[in-house]
Amino acid sequence: MESVLALAWLVPVLPLASAAVVAATGKRLPWGGAEVGILSVGAALALSAAIAWETFTNPGETLERAFAWSPLGGGFVLELGMLVDGLTAMMFLLVTLVSLMVHVYSRGYMEGEARFTYYYAMLSLFTFSMLLLVISNNTLQAVVGWELVGLCSFLLIGFYWEEKSNQDAANKAFLTTKFGDVGLIVGVIVLSAGMLGLSDTPFNFGETIDAAVSGELATGTIVLGMLLIFVGCISKSGQMPLHVWLPDAMAGPTPVSALIHAATMVTAGVFLLARLFPVLAQSALVMGVIAVVGILTLFFGGLLALVQDDIKKILAYSTISQLGYMVAAIGVGGYTASIFHLFTHGFFKALLFLGAGSLIHAVHSNDISAMGGLRRPMPVTFWTFTIGSLALAGFPMTAGFFSKDEILVSGDLWALNGFATGTYVYWVGIAAAFVTTFYMARAWFLIFTGEHRGAPHAADAHGGHGADHDAQADAHADAHHAAPNESGRWMLVPLVVLAVLSLTAGLIGSPFLQDEPNFEAWTATEVIEGTTYPFLAEYAAGAGVVAAEKGPSAKILHGPPTWHLDLLGIVLAAFAGAVLLAWRLYGKGLPDEDPTLRMGPLSRALVAKYGFDAAGYRYVVVPVRDRLSAWATRVSNDVIDGVVGGTGAAAKRLAGVTYATVDQGIIDGGVNGAAFSAAWWSARLRRIQSGDVQRYAGALVAGVVLLVLAFVAIR
Amino acid sequence: MSLVIPLLLATFLFCVGVYGLIARRNAVLVLISVELMLNAVNINLVAFQNLLFPAEAAASGQLFALFIIGVAAAEVGVGLAIVFNLFRNRATVDVDRVDAMRW
Repeated sequence: MESVLALAWLVPVLPLASAAVVAATGKRLPWGGAEVGILSVGAALALSAAIAWETFTNPGETLERAFAWSPLGGGFVLELGMLVDGLTAMMFLLVTLVSLMVHVYSRGYMEGEARFTYYYAMLSLFTFSMLLLVISNNTLQAVVGWELVGLCSFLLIGFYWEEKSNQDAANKAFLTTKFGDVGLIVGVIVLSAGMLGLSDTPFNFGETIDAAVSGELATGTIVLGMLLIFVGCISKSGQMPLHVWLPDAMAGPTPVSALIHAATMVTAGVFLLARLFPVLAQSALVMGVIAVVGILTLFFGGLLALVQDDIKKILAYSTISQLGYMVAAIGVGGYTASIFHLFTHGFFKALLFLGAGSLIHAVHSNDISAMGGLRRPMPVTFWTFTIGSLALAGFPMTAGFFSKDEILVSGDLWALNGFATGTYVYWVGIAAAFVTTFYMARAWFLIFTGEHRGAPHAADAHGGHGADHDAQADAHADAHHAAPNESGRWMLVPLVVLAVLSLTAGLIGSPFLQDEPNFEAWTATEVIEGTTYPFLAEYAAGAGVVAAEKGPSAKILHGPPTWHLDLLGIVLAAFAGAVLLAWRLYGKGLPDEDPTLRMGPLSRALVAKYGFDAAGYRYVVVPVRDRLSAWATRVSNDVIDGVVGGTGAAAKRLAGVTYATVDQGIIDGGVNGAAFSAAWWSARLRRIQSGDVQRYAGALVAGVVLLVLAFVAIR
Repeated sequence: MSLVIPLLLATFLFCVGVYGLIARRNAVLVLISVELMLNAVNINLVAFQNLLFPAEAAASGQLFALFIIGVAAAEVGVGLAIVFNLFRNRATVDVDRVDAMRW
């Protein structure tokens, strides 16, 4: 039976067609191309929903199709293909849904932009690239999609390229992620090199996983390959220490931040780790490295949000922290938990960013100290933003609650296997949840309660790194002090849709759904269901863990989620404590000096962003720019130019010699000689041409006689 | 009948024709010499036909001789026309003095 899965290739193709159509004809369309983007992504969403339903109700249903676009021979085939399983379907649903919401939202947000059509073409192109990455059945195609989303990210961060700071942000994002991409592609090559001889399609996901699980793939290959691929994930998914580009990426339009830098592209790294989970699960070292990076990121990334006044930067650091949760979950065997958090986070973080865009649209500033009292004038934004904040803070029964708790539980179970990283994920995760709640509550109080403060330094706010350009900001200079108004319907509808999803999307992975179909069965592949960690028994014995205790978590899947009342109590207490603290500090409006700046060395470290940017500038940018490039210039001028110049001079001399001897001497000599000899001979032979007919006849007769005599003589 | 006599006659006629072709100055006589050579060939054709294929009904040797007579008539018509024009233009038919087509 041909299921709807066979149509999955249409999901990426629709946005690609949309990008082409918008780029070609968008400017002549009544809505500047927005209608094409919305319709095609809407169609892709409908198809994704059908695929999601099909895989959700039939857990384990998988379809892989591929054709070889480069049969290099020698057991080395490059594929272009699709692998549709629950994980793909889940990503399809998330990407197309958030993309559609952003397409719709941007119709209102970007109205009047000079490059409106270009913007929509880029949005559609990004959606295609992300779906290409998600649908891929091999690592090479995934790298292509990975690079394409990076390109679209670069182009959209630098959307307002008239300002130097935005160009810088785009360059920073591009170069930082490119650094990790080198790791990624080398890792992919390492894995495929290990697969050579084991398979004709060494890049294929399924075959790589099978070879790794069956032990055919060498352990060294797995460790090296996966660690290098993880470097790519570090840069793309904003993990420390390569997270520095993500806050600066807020220079792009806010809907772009929602789509690319919150919901989809930055989760590509987590997706790739999830896709290759059975491979990395072969090595305790790889999982340990992933867990440590994730734990550091989820805590220290979250702390950075405390001192930010720019609403988008608060959300950016929050995204870094939440991505840290996902990566840490991968590192402690929380496969389902990680991608579940990826799923719910995509909705509520996109909601928060779009809500922030609505606020910025209204007050023409990113600065939360310029907001205040926006609850009454913007009720829809207020309620949806509140729901998003609750989900991000993990308030019980919201989407973020179920997914974040599952990550914490995964950590707890991993600790039972004797791994300290599990314990850290559990406790640091709870501490970071407290921090998350606090900074969201801080933002919430400063934005919505009290009196509207207006933007006294509106000009400064716009000059800042992350300042969002508003199309009308310059046109209506006096509007800065006018009362803020609720945004239009184009922007509110996506907010409401995403708010509903932020409340309900967690239910499919909640303890309410004990039986299949549920989220775990949906996204688990056959390999993942059957795989256990090979290093576990050995490690657990060494750590003195009783065999009976490690029983439940030896398998990758933990089974359906259950209620953890102790954890619920801790989470609720942390939530209440954080909100109360924030209320004490910010409930009465903006304090003269922000308390987060009065924490001594900690505040200084946070304001300096732990020195990552400064260190990066000092130890990477300056040496590269001043020394490496100077050295490269010298190499270029002296060595390369010398080689090129020398080659040129030698070639010129050789050509001169060739001209004099071969061309002039031999060839011209031959040609001229032929001509001269022809002239010499013809001057003599033409005398035969006497014009005397009878002499011709005589010669003819003599010739005949000679021929006859010769003939007779030969006979 | 012996073949010697017709062949000797043909050889004699051909040699006379060759001599006339090379030695005579008058263009008309040169043309006549060409006719002599053609008729020597005709004699050969008829003689050999009788010797080699006596029973052949088609008599192709004689047939070829008739063709040659016809072609020779045409040829001499063209030749005489050229000689007439030559005479009109140059007032001479001496082939030694008609050597404009030379180097």
